[in-house]
Amino acid sequence: MKIFTSIVAAILACFCVASTTFAATPLQLVSDVFVERQVVKPDGSKTVILEKPNLVTPGDNLVFVVRYKNVGGATASNFVVTNPLPAAVAFDGTSDGLETVSVDGGKSWGFLGTLRVTKPDGTLRPALRSDVTHIKWNLNQTLTAGAEGKLIFRGIVK
Amino acid sequence: MTSKLKLLSASSGFALVLAFASPAYAQNTDANTLITNTVNVDFQVGGVPQTTISAQNQFRVDRKILFSVSEKTTVGTTSVTSGQQNRDVAFTLVNSSNDTLDFSLAATNTANGTTIGGGRGTDSIDVTNFEYAIDTNGNGVLDGAEAFSTSLTLNDVAKNTTVHILVRSDIPVSANGSVAVVQLAATALNSNATAITAVDDTVANTADVTSGTFQTIFAEDLTPTQGNTSRNGVSWAWDDYTVSAPVLTVFKSSRIISDGVSSTNPKAIPGAVVEYCISVANAAGAATASNVSISDLVPTNTTYVTNSIRRNVTVTNPGATQTCDNTSGSPVTDSNGDTDGGNFGTPTANTAYATLSDIVQNTASAMIFRVTIVN
Repeated sequence: MKIFTSIVAAILACFCVASTTFAATPLQLVSDVFVERQVVKPDGSKTVILEKPNLVTPGDNLVFVVRYKNVGGATASNFVVTNPLPAAVAFDGTSDGLETVSVDGGKSWGFLGTLRVTKPDGTLRPALRSDVTHIKWNLNQTLTAGAEGKLIFRGIVK
Repeated sequence: MTSKLKLLSASSGFALVLAFASPAYAQNTDANTLITNTVNVDFQVGGVPQTTISAQNQFRVDRKILFSVSEKTTVGTTSVTSGQQNRDVAFTLVNSSNDTLDFSLAATNTANGTTIGGGRGTDSIDVTNFEYAIDTNGNGVLDGAEAFSTSLTLNDVAKNTTVHILVRSDIPVSANGSVAVVQLAATALNSNATAITAVDDTVANTADVTSGTFQTIFAEDLTPTQGNTSRNGVSWAWDDYTVSAPVLTVFKSSRIISDGVSSTNPKAIPGAVVEYCISVANAAGAATASNVSISDLVPTNTTYVTNSIRRNVTVTNPGATQTCDNTSGSPVTDSNGDTDGGNFGTPTANTAYATLSDIVQNTASAMIFRVTIVN
């Protein structure tokens, strides 16, 4: 239960540090990041909690949360969310698996399993998560006024 | 929202994270790096594309002090001889931190009677006069401009780099099989050689988006085999010396050659000639014994037989039942200053001297000389 509250606290606290978009746009967008910690409970069992990214060192697991909400009066459609990965973060998957990715800086896109990377000797190899430079969701749905949702992906500090 | 986040943690991603809890990324992002994540959303309203909107979040990478000290391969004991000086052992230090650091080095003896494990023997002797050198070319020996000094701080070890270190010490005079286990400990320092102030689990994390406000944590592997039980910016490794010394056994026997009366089984009567044989045996597995010299004062009531010394004599069953072949080896004249490896009377009067050739392990050699029993 304690962990439950700590997560709530972390999320509430993060509302204030994450930047939000201008009120003039009909879409409100918030990007949060949490660092995942494995903690040992008094009974010896291990559990994973999410914290504000205050103490972060290479190898740490990050959870990025993109929250969006239609704060305008009209329905939005053809919703495309693009997130270039910070250079020091390695992609580690999304929660929904519906994303397309780019391994060439955003020039070409596809599902990870379909992409190829050119090796130094000129031959191709299948792309790996560590090759990902951009993540994109093509949300093939409309967002009515007041509706909201979120997208989650994971990264590891290189 | 909270429940969904928890759900995410418990989904497939969770297992993945546990399986690869701390992947070793060669990049090892520098401490103080600001990571900015930007997300962009394109959308349409009423079929009309709208301005792309973006959101950002930022955090700063903290400093992780992680390094290891290891015995350099080939791992194993270093065989030394008793009393040998300036014997080297080699270590490596790998800085896996995300910052450039200095490291101060300190070698210490392990307490006698301590068994470290890992195939090392039980410590029984202490070495002296530790000195340290950076093995710049990593070839395991001191060469070129490399030099030993009595103290050493490794200056500005960049992240993801390995430093090769030599540690030298003197071996005390000690028995065959004696073991000296030495520990090389490295203490991490800031790159300006000042002590590192780190935070532990009891210190609250601080938001550190402003440059230079990152925190430092000690993150050494608590490897049981290295005995490192706390994260304090100190790591170490052990190496050991094993003394290989000769193990010599000396035995002196005598037999009567003739008594001037008996044709067989001569008796120890006045005027009888007695042959002494002094054997030196070196035990199996011991180091070769060199320059073994024997001196024997001729007993009272006997008279030395001139030019009767022989050295490097073949001995069988050295010890109580030994027999010495008085036709083997080589004769030694009584005069001093020649090169036959022995003399009679120098430096001490009435004493037989001989030097034996090298005695390898599990072999024996002997000297013989004769006296007559005084009438």
